[in-house]
Amino acid sequence: MKTRTSLALSALGVVAFLLLWEAVAQSGIVPARLIPSPSAVPAAFLSEFRSGTWQAMVLASLSHYLVGLSLGAFLGVSFGTAAALWGRWDAFQAWVVRMLRPIPAIAWIPFAIIWFGVSEGAASFLIALTVFWINYYASYAAVRGVDKDLIELGHAFGQGGLVPRLFKIVLPGALPGILSGLRAGLGQGWMTVVAAELFGISGLGMRMMEASGLLATHIVVLYMVTIALLYGVSDFLFMQVQSRVLSWQR
Amino acid sequence: MATVNGAPANDAVSSGAAVIDLKNVSIGYGADAPPVLVDVDLTVERGSFVAIVGPSGVGKSTLLRVVAGLHEARTGGVTIHQDPRPAHRPVGLVFQDARLLPWRRVVKNVQLGLEGLPVSRAERLRRAEEALKLVRLDGYARRWPYELSGGQRQRVGIARAMAVDPDILLMDEPFGALDAITRNNLQDELRRIHRETGKTILFVTHDLEEAVHLADRIIVLGGTPARVVRDVSNSAGRDGAVFREQVEQLRLEIADNYSI
Repeated sequence: MKTRTSLALSALGVVAFLLLWEAVAQSGIVPARLIPSPSAVPAAFLSEFRSGTWQAMVLASLSHYLVGLSLGAFLGVSFGTAAALWGRWDAFQAWVVRMLRPIPAIAWIPFAIIWFGVSEGAASFLIALTVFWINYYASYAAVRGVDKDLIELGHAFGQGGLVPRLFKIVLPGALPGILSGLRAGLGQGWMTVVAAELFGISGLGMRMMEASGLLATHIVVLYMVTIALLYGVSDFLFMQVQSRVLSWQR
Repeated sequence: MATVNGAPANDAVSSGAAVIDLKNVSIGYGADAPPVLVDVDLTVERGSFVAIVGPSGVGKSTLLRVVAGLHEARTGGVTIHQDPRPAHRPVGLVFQDARLLPWRRVVKNVQLGLEGLPVSRAERLRRAEEALKLVRLDGYARRWPYELSGGQRQRVGIARAMAVDPDILLMDEPFGALDAITRNNLQDELRRIHRETGKTILFVTHDLEEAVHLADRIIVLGGTPARVVRDVSNSAGRDGAVFREQVEQLRLEIADNYSI
């Protein structure tokens, strides 16, 4: 399929979705309070934008997101790679990982508040936690999956030492897998942003909570759309970088 | 160089000095498993082209890895230029599957072995381009491996091995996965490279015709555990009665010792 065709189809899908939604909201089948119509969103955006709330909330969430994402991704890739490289370390941490892994990030909210207070740090911590696990497992599998023959090649050509092996063979070989972990973390990170802010840390999630308390559902929808757009933009930008970095793939 | 009565012993070059020396080498996988290859005594002279043949499973490829210092012999000693240390051996390895790094362009793949050496960036590039010229792939430097055919990839593998200017080229069934026409071409190219550079070549193959066509000495491995069952010098060339007779002779030899 041509890029233009696929772009046109994507746009058509979005328009159809919005039209259906508007039709359901306008028809009166469901009370307007329960489903705000999408046409109410632009007005909500204007009022939020004029008061400066929208920009402030986006910036606040973005900063939690970026700090949490980079911290979680860096640590996740590092620990995942280390566990995949060194069997002893892997065995040592394996059960700790099994115990901590099933605890969802939101279950850490009480500790996040106790440790960081209702603060930026708490939100970033929760996001980092979510992103960490995704990247940990993705990197672990990716590094494990690097072709052993390429490692042997490195040894045969004098690149068997830890540093050249890591940077010339293992990490480039694992890069496609590591990048898909990063991409998955990108999405999960935005979900955690909202969850983390629901308990009062300034940002998109908090504003949604406030608006829903006032039954201002059109404002809730505005921020839902905002998150969707922010995710869409970050995913799109990531894909641009990824396709450039992986241009050696067929 | 050794001298006799003050006169230079120039026959050390012409008749060939020992480059590779294996003494009583045996090879096995795992500590408890019985050895697969035993009693290998082998001296390879400078500039010679030696083929190692035998059925699969006799440890041909592992023997090559032992010479390269990538696999430890269970017993016995390996020296390259009388040096037993396994690291930094002056060898270039060529694999059956070309084994290029897919994330490096051709020219960077060829430079891999040079990156561990004290060689400037410009010099690395110069030597990589020279090696690509040797395998007739100048003009392909900026390509990605996936853009190459199987034969071209194998040429890059040879260039990568040659770029470090090794004394010995170790080749592990390098043409085994290629179609017949490409294989013939690359065999001729390898003969030419051998002629032009005078490298010592140790060439593992299970294809007797390939061995007879290429090598000037053929080592046959066979039996259980495998050992050297035949060590013949060869000049049968490519075609004709002599060639076929030599191939047939070796085929019988291997069949007699085939017990795997």
